[in-house]
Amino acid sequence: MNDDIDFYTIDSHKNWDEGAEIQRLLTQCDLDMEEGIHVFVVGRQGHRLVACAGLDGNIVKCVATVPDLRGESLALKLMSEVSHLALEQGHLHLFLFTHPKNVSFFGGCGFYELAEVPGYVSLMENTPIGIKSYSEQLHKLAQPGRKIGCIVMNANPFTFGHQYLVQLAAAQCDWLHVFAVREDVSMFSYRDRFALVQAGVAGIPRLTLHHGSEYMVSRATFPNYFFKEKGIVGECCSAIDLILFRKYIAPALGITHRFVGTEPFCTTTRKYNDDMKHWLQTADSESAPISVVEVPRAVSSNIAISASEVRRLLHSGDMAKMPSLVPRETLKFLSGNHYAT
Amino acid sequence: MKIIKEALAGTLESSDLLVKVMPLPEDRVEVVIQSEVMHQFGEQIRQVVSQTLQQLGLVSGQVVIEDKGALDCAIRARVQAAILRGGSIQELDWSKLS
Repeated sequence: MNDDIDFYTIDSHKNWDEGAEIQRLLTQCDLDMEEGIHVFVVGRQGHRLVACAGLDGNIVKCVATVPDLRGESLALKLMSEVSHLALEQGHLHLFLFTHPKNVSFFGGCGFYELAEVPGYVSLMENTPIGIKSYSEQLHKLAQPGRKIGCIVMNANPFTFGHQYLVQLAAAQCDWLHVFAVREDVSMFSYRDRFALVQAGVAGIPRLTLHHGSEYMVSRATFPNYFFKEKGIVGECCSAIDLILFRKYIAPALGITHRFVGTEPFCTTTRKYNDDMKHWLQTADSESAPISVVEVPRAVSSNIAISASEVRRLLHSGDMAKMPSLVPRETLKFLSGNHYAT
Repeated sequence: MKIIKEALAGTLESSDLLVKVMPLPEDRVEVVIQSEVMHQFGEQIRQVVSQTLQQLGLVSGQVVIEDKGALDCAIRARVQAAILRGGSIQELDWSKLS
C-alpha cells in the first residue's frame, strides 16, 4: 500500500535542493531532465522521493516512479495530482511525449495516442475526443476541388515572401487553406501575426485563413521549433507534427498539396522542409500521401526575403530596406511599434 | 445550467473516476465515457451519468469521464462535483443532488 505517500508540488525554479533528488530518480528510470519544466509534482514516502512528474505549460514531462513501488497505483495517484495541478494553472488539455512502449501504461492514466514515430516517440493527449472534435470542426470548412493546397506559416512577421507563396499556391489550386501558427512564443504575438496575415492575403480568391491549433506546429507537436530564436536547435520532433498533419488535418480538409518556401537561412525550418517531404510523401502511412511543393523564395535586390532577415534588420534598427521586404500593413505595424528603434 | 469554465473532479485510482467538464459554444450536452468495465457495466454507467446530468439541469457542456470501476454513488458524486465546479450555478438546490 502507498497510503503513507505524500504528494506535493514544488516550483522547479525555487526548490533546487529537491532537484538533485528528482535528477537521481529520473536517471534510475532512464530519463533525462527536460527543458522548460516550471513545476513538479512529487511523491514522498518518509524521506524517500518515490515519484515525480513535471509540467511545462500543458505538456507533461519527466514522469517517473521508483521500480519497487510500481503496480500499486502510485502512478495513477501521481497522474491524478498532475491533472489537478495543471487545471489550477489553466490547462485541462494535456499532452505528453513518451516512448511507444509506454503508450499502454499512459493509456491507463487517461491519455490517448495521437501519433507515433515507430520505435522512437509517441505523442498522447488526455482526452479521447480532442483530435476527433478538432478534425470534425475543420471538416466543416472543407471546400470542393481536386487540388486542395495548404500553407502553415508562423509569419513572424508576414513578408512579401509569404504573400508571394500564398499567391502562387492559390493560383495553382482549386482552394487554398492557410494556417497561422497559434503558439505564442515568437517575437510577435499571435494576435499581431494573424492580423498581418489577414491583411496580407485579403483579396486573394479561393482561400480560407484558419487559426492554428495545438495540433500543428505547437509546442506539443513540435517543441524545438520555438527554441530556434533562442539559438537552440536540438533533435527535431517535426516527424510527430507531420504525421498528425497527414493523419488528421489533411484528410479533414481534403488537402492534396502542401506548399513551403525554400529556406536559405534558418536551419530548423530547413530541416522541417526536408522532413516534410519524407513524412508527407514517402513514409509508409495509412493516410494518402500529400505532395510537398517547395517554392523558391521571393527575392528582393538579390536577397531572399525571409522573416528572420526582417527581424534581424529590426534588431539593428535598419528600416531602410523594410519597404522592399514587407507589405504595407506589416510595414505600418513595424514602424508604429516600439520594435523600430 | 451551463458549463462556463473547465473543471475537474475525482482521480484515476481504482474504484474512482476522473470527470472533466468544459464549455461548448452551443447549447448541447456531449458525454464521453471511457471505462475499464465498459463491457460489463457501460449501460449502467451511462444511465447514472445521464440521470445525474438531468437532475442538475445541464443544457450545455462537454463531460468526459475516465472511469476506473467506480460504484454508482461515486459516479454520481464525482459528476455532480465537476458540474458544480464548472457550472453557472449561483444558488445550489440541494434536493437536486439526492
